[in-house]
Amino acid sequence: MHTKDINENLPWSQINKDVMRSMMNPRKAYWVAIIVCIAMISCAVAAEVYQYNVGMGPANLNWPHMWDLYIATFIFWIGMSHPGTLLSAILHIIHADWRKPIYRFAEAMTTFSLMTAGLFPVIHIGRLWNMYWVLPYYSDRGIWPNFRSPLVWDAFAISTYLTSSALFLFIGMIPDLAICRDNTTGWRRKLYTILSLGWRGDDRQWRNFRRTYLLMACFLIPLAVSVHSIVSSDFAMSVMPGWHVTTFPPYFVAGALYSGCAAIMTLFICLRYFFRLEDYMTIPILVKTAKLTFAIAMVWTYLNLIEFASIWYGHNAVDKELLIAKFTGAYSPYFWMMLFIGSVVPFTLASEKLRTHLPTMLVVSLVLNLGMWLERWMIVTPTLSQGYHPFAFDVMWPSMIQWAIVFGSFGWFGLLFLIFVKVFPCVSMYEVKEMCYHRKREAMGVGHGSHAAGGAAGAVTASKTDLEGS
Amino acid sequence: MSLENILENWSKYRKGHEEGGYHEYEHMWGMAIDLDKCTGCNACSVACYAENNLAVVGEEKFSKGQGMHWLRIERYWDEPDLGEDKVNEYQIHGASFIPMNCQHCNAATCEPVCPVAATYHTPDGLNAQVYNRCIGSRYCSNNCPYRLRYFNFFSYYEDSWPEPLQMQLNPDISVRDKGVMEKCTFCVQRIRTAKDDAARDDRRGPGAVKDGDLKTACQQSCATQAIFFGDLLDKDSAVSKVWEKHEVALGKSSQNKSNPDKRGYRVLEGLNTDPCVMFLERVREV
Amino acid sequence: MSKRRVLGLFDGFDPAFAAINDIKAGNVSGVKLDDVEVLSPIEHPDIDEVLEHRKSHVPKWTLFGALFGMIGGFLFLASAQANFLVQPQGGKPVIALPTNIVLTYEMLILSAVIFTVIAFLVTARLFRKRNPLYSEQITVDQVGIEITLDESDLAGLKESFAKHGVLEVREGAL
Repeated sequence: MHTKDINENLPWSQINKDVMRSMMNPRKAYWVAIIVCIAMISCAVAAEVYQYNVGMGPANLNWPHMWDLYIATFIFWIGMSHPGTLLSAILHIIHADWRKPIYRFAEAMTTFSLMTAGLFPVIHIGRLWNMYWVLPYYSDRGIWPNFRSPLVWDAFAISTYLTSSALFLFIGMIPDLAICRDNTTGWRRKLYTILSLGWRGDDRQWRNFRRTYLLMACFLIPLAVSVHSIVSSDFAMSVMPGWHVTTFPPYFVAGALYSGCAAIMTLFICLRYFFRLEDYMTIPILVKTAKLTFAIAMVWTYLNLIEFASIWYGHNAVDKELLIAKFTGAYSPYFWMMLFIGSVVPFTLASEKLRTHLPTMLVVSLVLNLGMWLERWMIVTPTLSQGYHPFAFDVMWPSMIQWAIVFGSFGWFGLLFLIFVKVFPCVSMYEVKEMCYHRKREAMGVGHGSHAAGGAAGAVTASKTDLEGS
Repeated sequence: MSLENILENWSKYRKGHEEGGYHEYEHMWGMAIDLDKCTGCNACSVACYAENNLAVVGEEKFSKGQGMHWLRIERYWDEPDLGEDKVNEYQIHGASFIPMNCQHCNAATCEPVCPVAATYHTPDGLNAQVYNRCIGSRYCSNNCPYRLRYFNFFSYYEDSWPEPLQMQLNPDISVRDKGVMEKCTFCVQRIRTAKDDAARDDRRGPGAVKDGDLKTACQQSCATQAIFFGDLLDKDSAVSKVWEKHEVALGKSSQNKSNPDKRGYRVLEGLNTDPCVMFLERVREV
Repeated sequence: MSKRRVLGLFDGFDPAFAAINDIKAGNVSGVKLDDVEVLSPIEHPDIDEVLEHRKSHVPKWTLFGALFGMIGGFLFLASAQANFLVQPQGGKPVIALPTNIVLTYEMLILSAVIFTVIAFLVTARLFRKRNPLYSEQITVDQVGIEITLDESDLAGLKESFAKHGVLEVREGAL
C-alpha cells in the first residue's frame, strides 16, 4: 500500500503518459460497467414512458403526497454537485494544492450530477411536454413565468450553475486538451484539436487563463451556495411545518457538501484502483478529503440538532408534533437510520487507521451517501404526511415506478462519468506538474510566489535537470 | 415602454395585499358555512361532482388518496374536551362534520409558488386555476395548508364517464386531462353567467351581480341551507351580514369574541392566509 | 527587409529566463522584450516579473458582465412583471422585490461568468491558425521562446540562444 504523497520528482513526460494511459484502451470491465449503466437507464426509461402515457398516478402519489422520491432525489443530485465547486473553487482560492490531482473528476461529477438532477423536475411534473413554460421567453400573449415561485428560481439557479460549472470544467481543461491533442491520433486528435481551441501555452494565454480561472472560481463559490439555498427555498419558502425552517439554507448546503465529499471519496477510490493512478490519487489526499468530510459531517449534525432544538423551544404545536412523528411515526426507522449514518458513521473517518484503509473508506463513503439520500427523503415526505390539516394526514410508500426512476438516475450519472473518464483526462496534468514544481521549489527553499532580487532567473533554482534527474 | 411603465406605476405595482393590492376588486366572493346546520349528508359534495365534471375515480384509487372531491365532508370523531368520560368510537353527539372546499384565500399560499402563474387571484377575489397553463408541478397543493387541491393523476374521461355517461357532463366547463391541478372554483361558470346576465341588463363593473343572482351548486343542494354564498363587498348581501354578525372580517387573522353567540371563525386563520370561507361553530349541548 | 519568426526550445524555465534576461539587458541587437513570447507547459509564478507585468484585461470584462447582469437582470424581471398584470398572487405586489433580488443575483453571476469566458477567448487570442513553428514538446516539459525579428538580427539571437543551452531552434517566415 502506498502511503506516501505525490512524488514531486515525477518526470513530466511520465505524468502525461500515465494520464493518457488512463484514457486509452478501455478494458473489459469498462464495457461491462457501461452495459450495467445502460441497463439501469433502461429501467428508468421504461418507467418514465409508462408514467408519461398514464399519468402520475402509478407513482403512488396522492393528494397530501404530491411530491416524493423525485424531489428527494433531485435534491440529492443537486447536493452531489457542490463539492466539485468546493474542491476546485474554494481550495483553489486558498491555494490548497492537494486538490490538484483530484479536482478534475470532482468538477466532472458536479456537471454530471447537475445533468442528472435537472432530469427530475422534468420527470416529476404532470405535463412534462410543457416544461419550457418555466423559462422566461417572450410570448405574444404577454405571458411570463411566475418569478415569485421558488421553482422558477430553481430553473434559473440550475441553468446558471450548469452553464457556469460546465464552462469552468472546460476552461480548466483546455491546457490538458492541448496535451491530448499533441499525443493522440485519429478521431481523438480531431476532437481535441477542436476542443483545445488552438491552445499553445504562450504567456498571453497563460496569463489570461489564470485570471479567467480565478475570476470564475470567485463567482462559482457564491453561486454554489446560492443554488442549494434556492433549492432549500422550495421548502423554506412554503408555509408547511418541517419545511418552513430558517436553518434550511445552511442545512442544505452542509448536506450537499457532505454527500458530495463522500461521493468524491467513492470515485477517488474507484479511479485509483481501476486506472492505477496510485501515484496521483495518493493516500494523503484521501485522508485530507476524509478529514474534510468529517468536519462537514459535524456541521451537518450540529445543524440537525439546532433544528430540533429550535422546534422544541419554539413550541409551535404543529411543528412539534411533526418532529415527534418523525422520531416515532411511520417513517421513524428511516429517520433514525439517517441520524445514525449522518452523525455516527462519520466517526470512522476520524480514525487514522480506518481512513487509510481503502475498502473501509469505500464502504463508508457509500453508506454516507445512502444516509444523505435518506435525509432528503426525510425532508420531503414526512411533512406531506403530516401537515396542518388533520384530515389530510396520511402515510404513503413510493411505488416501483418511482424506485425505478431513482435507480436509473444512478445509471445515467454513471454512464456520463464513464464516458468522461475515457474521453477526457480525469487528472489535471498541467496542475499536477505545477504542484510538483512548486513543492520542489519549496523543498529547495524558494518561497511560494516570491522572487529574489537581481533577476527572476536567479530565483529559480529548480532546474529541469533536477526535476528529471532523480 | 417598459421602463416608463415601471417608473410611472411603481407605487401601484408595489402595493401588497395589506395595502389593498393591485386589483380594484369588482366582487369579493365569499362563503359562510353554518356547521350547526350541517348534517354531513354529502349532498353538497355530490352536487359538486355533477356540476363541475369531477372524475369519479373508483374505490381503489379513492382509497389510495387520489380522489377528486373538490368539496369534501370531513369527519372528526374524537373530542374529549366535550366532557365525556371516555371517548366512544361513535360519540353520543355524533361526528363533527366540516365541509371543506377551496378557501379562496386572499393571501393564498398556493398562488405565489406556481412556477407558471397558472393559479392567480382574479379581480373577483377568486383564487383561479388556469388548467391550460398548468404544468403539474404540484407545488401549489404542497403549499396549501388545507390540502384542498386535487391533481389529475390519470386521464379519467374514459373510466369515469363510460358511454353514455359522458352525456351528463356539464357543457359549461371543461373536463380536465391528466397532469393538471384542479380545485373548487366557487362555480365560476355560474358567476360568469350571472355577470353576463347583469351585463345584458346594463349592469357592469363593481357590484353588477346582485345578491341572490346566483347560487353555487353546493349551496343550492344543501338540505339545511347551511351554506351562504355571495359578494363580501356588497354590505347588504346575506353572506356579508353573517360575516358581520359573527365578527369575522377579511384582513384580520384572529377574533377576540366574548359572546358565545358569535360563532364565526376561519380555518387556520393564524397562518394569515385570509380565507374567504367562514365557518360558524357547531353549538353543542354538553 | 523581411521578418522572420524564431522559436527556441529550452530545457526548463531557468535557461529560458536567462535567455530572456539577455534580451532584456540589450545584449541581442534588434530584439526587444515586447517581441518575446514564452511558451510553457505550466505557468511559472515568476513569469510576470520576467516579462515585466504584461496586462490581462479579463477583469474589466467580468466587471462589465456583472454590472450588465445585475442591472439588465433586474430591469428584465421588473418589466416582465409589470407587463404581466395577472400576476397579483398570494397578496404579493406585482413587482416582488425579494424574488427579484434572488433572480438578479443569479443573472449577475451568469452574465459575469459568460463575459469572463468570452473575454478569455478574445484576449488570449485563441482560435488562431496553427503556428507551424509549434513544438509538441511544449505540452510535455520544454519551454519555448518565440521571437519575431528582422532577418539581419537572426544570427545574434541564435548565438544568444545557444549560449543558454537551447535544445532546438525552429524558424520560419512570418
